[in-house]
Amino acid sequence: MKQAKYGLLLYIFLALPPVASLMESVMIVHMHMQLTLLVLSGFLMGTFFKQRFASFFNNWNQSGVPGVILAVVIWAYWMIPRIMDETLTMHSIEIFKYISLPFLVGVPLRDSWKKVSYTVKHILYIFMTINFIVMGWIYVAINQQICNNYLLVEQRTLGFGSFAFAACMIIYGFIWIFSERKEHQQSS
Amino acid sequence: MEQTIKETIRYPKKLLGVNPNDAKVSLAYLSVAFISLLIGGLLGLVQGLERAGLIELPSWLNYYQVLTAHGLLLLVVFTATFTVGYQFANLSHSFGGLLPKVRTLAWVGFYLMIIGVGMVVTMIVLNEASVLYTFYPPLAAHPIFYVGLVFVVLGIWACCLGVFINYRHWRKNHPGQVTPLLAFFAMGVFVLWFFASIGVTIEVLTLIPWSMGLVETTNVMVARTLFWWFGHTLVNIWYLVATSAWYVIVPKIIGGRHFSDKLIRLVVILLVILNIPGGFHHQIIDPAISQSIKFLHVFMSLSIAVPSLMTAFAMFAVFERTGRKLGGKGWLGWLKKLPWGDVRFLAPMMAMLAFIPGGAGGIVNTSNQLNQVIHNTMWVVGHFHITVGISVVLTFFGICYWLVPYLSKRKLTPKMNKLGVIQTIIWTVGMMLMSTSMHIVGLMGDPRRTSDTTYGGHEVAASWIPYEMVFAIAATLLLIGVIIQVYAVFHMMFLSPKGQTEFPVAEPEEHAPVAPLWTERWGLWTVLLLAVIAMAYVVPIVDMIMNAPPGSPPIRTW
Repeated sequence: MKQAKYGLLLYIFLALPPVASLMESVMIVHMHMQLTLLVLSGFLMGTFFKQRFASFFNNWNQSGVPGVILAVVIWAYWMIPRIMDETLTMHSIEIFKYISLPFLVGVPLRDSWKKVSYTVKHILYIFMTINFIVMGWIYVAINQQICNNYLLVEQRTLGFGSFAFAACMIIYGFIWIFSERKEHQQSS
Repeated sequence: MEQTIKETIRYPKKLLGVNPNDAKVSLAYLSVAFISLLIGGLLGLVQGLERAGLIELPSWLNYYQVLTAHGLLLLVVFTATFTVGYQFANLSHSFGGLLPKVRTLAWVGFYLMIIGVGMVVTMIVLNEASVLYTFYPPLAAHPIFYVGLVFVVLGIWACCLGVFINYRHWRKNHPGQVTPLLAFFAMGVFVLWFFASIGVTIEVLTLIPWSMGLVETTNVMVARTLFWWFGHTLVNIWYLVATSAWYVIVPKIIGGRHFSDKLIRLVVILLVILNIPGGFHHQIIDPAISQSIKFLHVFMSLSIAVPSLMTAFAMFAVFERTGRKLGGKGWLGWLKKLPWGDVRFLAPMMAMLAFIPGGAGGIVNTSNQLNQVIHNTMWVVGHFHITVGISVVLTFFGICYWLVPYLSKRKLTPKMNKLGVIQTIIWTVGMMLMSTSMHIVGLMGDPRRTSDTTYGGHEVAASWIPYEMVFAIAATLLLIGVIIQVYAVFHMMFLSPKGQTEFPVAEPEEHAPVAPLWTERWGLWTVLLLAVIAMAYVVPIVDMIMNAPPGSPPIRTW
């Protein structure tokens, strides 16, 4: 339950208007940090929802796969460049961001994570890595401004940032395959 | 036969101090460290006397040459070689001996560093590289100077590789076990060193064609940013090395036990992950980095204060606990029970105490508005004389009094201990005089990196002179301290009476929980470190490259 409290605190912090506007003023911070932290807040709050609505999760997310699919679909939606614009100009989308990312990505992911097999986890990991690579490529290669609210240089920065995260994920993937997986298997 | 070799490799015996091979590696590094300290210390005195106007350097030797050599020999060569020597000794002790290929890598690293330092020093002596120890553009040195730096980095990488190989080997053969604390620290130090040196390597590789004239200009801002990626992290590598002794060695010397294993490992992990972006606070007054990015980096720099405060809490808890166990009563009675007459405790204790004002000064440097006041003044020089000069170097000196006799199979005699206590007092007084006067005169506006600060006898400049005289007095004391320390180290290496010395490693408290295995996930820590670097550096570097001003040609001001 401690985790849920931390998650709620993080959520409230991220919703504070000065924090939200500071994070949304820099494209890469908006997309890579704010969105991720919102998911994290939901992930932490997930312990509360799992306990409070145990039967709901058991009925609707028994295998964990529906939760993962929901998380992936919502996450993919937030990767569409025009949504960045809309969230800055339309209040309804901004509100949707603060509901969808914690509660439709973070919470179901928390419930699913222990239920799904390693194969699903690996697929999700590979999906996220490819997602970062494709985003990086789009944002670096396109010479036109694809978000009205952000400059071309910020767009490129986001692209390179995505490449950097993809590189981190690939490196960790290799470390996992060649070393930590074996240790994990040995210790469990 | 083959089986025996395999067994030796898999389960090496406790060889350090018995097998001369492992000890030789450490002693070789320590010898270079203390020769560098002697030369660097001498140059420090020359610099202090010149700055105070007490001597005038001959025409063939200028102030900036001395400043460059003093900085590089002490901040790079002394610290690097000491760190490698000490960390390999720790690793060998913890793992029961180095693997033969790791020992070879350590020697490869040693010779690469020697070649590199030789090239660098030669260029400085020839007055071809008076670029100060920060060596970033637009000041341009001779290409050989930069090539020498590449060799130094390659040497460090060879050592990093050796540590990683030995660590993996140990983990493979000890599944489900956490590594001994000193080896854990060694991993932290070398992981940080490896990633810190990537920034400076990219910088130096771009500067070589630039200094050769093959490329006309270079992007100064990118180079400065890459330098501080390394420069700031280097400071924290020293700090991590020092904390390894504070946490693990000092408690044993005072007759106590070390603090929570889990907390210690968490401190190491946090220092490794959070460290590199701290470099930006060295660039607070640089143009081309937006205010909001600088603001974000204040948090990144200050995050280092968290593990530092955890260390302060843990260490004083150990002191109090041990002091009380030894019979100390009342609020501060436990302090009297600590072994103040033992140099192995006194030196690191002074180092820890100095870290209190040193750390506070660091917070001043990290804060935007305060940094505007002190950035280009002697305050900064005072800051690193108290942090490096006392907190780091005195810990290193304290380590010598058990490590050197242990490695050379000799004894620390009461006489040598007394000499060490005297040296510690001289050093502390000298360094406190120097750093305090530097801090004060810095607040009065005295600039750093400037040979002559008389400004035609202006009254403000004249008010700095008494403080500069104190620099000279302090530099003299410090040279005496250097001479004593170098004498002590080589005496303990070759002349002290033969015998056994303890390698003091503290045990955990009785019934203390074992450190969790998740702390050993170095793959994850490395990736988090990379992610933090990406978060910190992608925005400003892309901006510096995409909105780059015209680059700078090589400039030689001397």
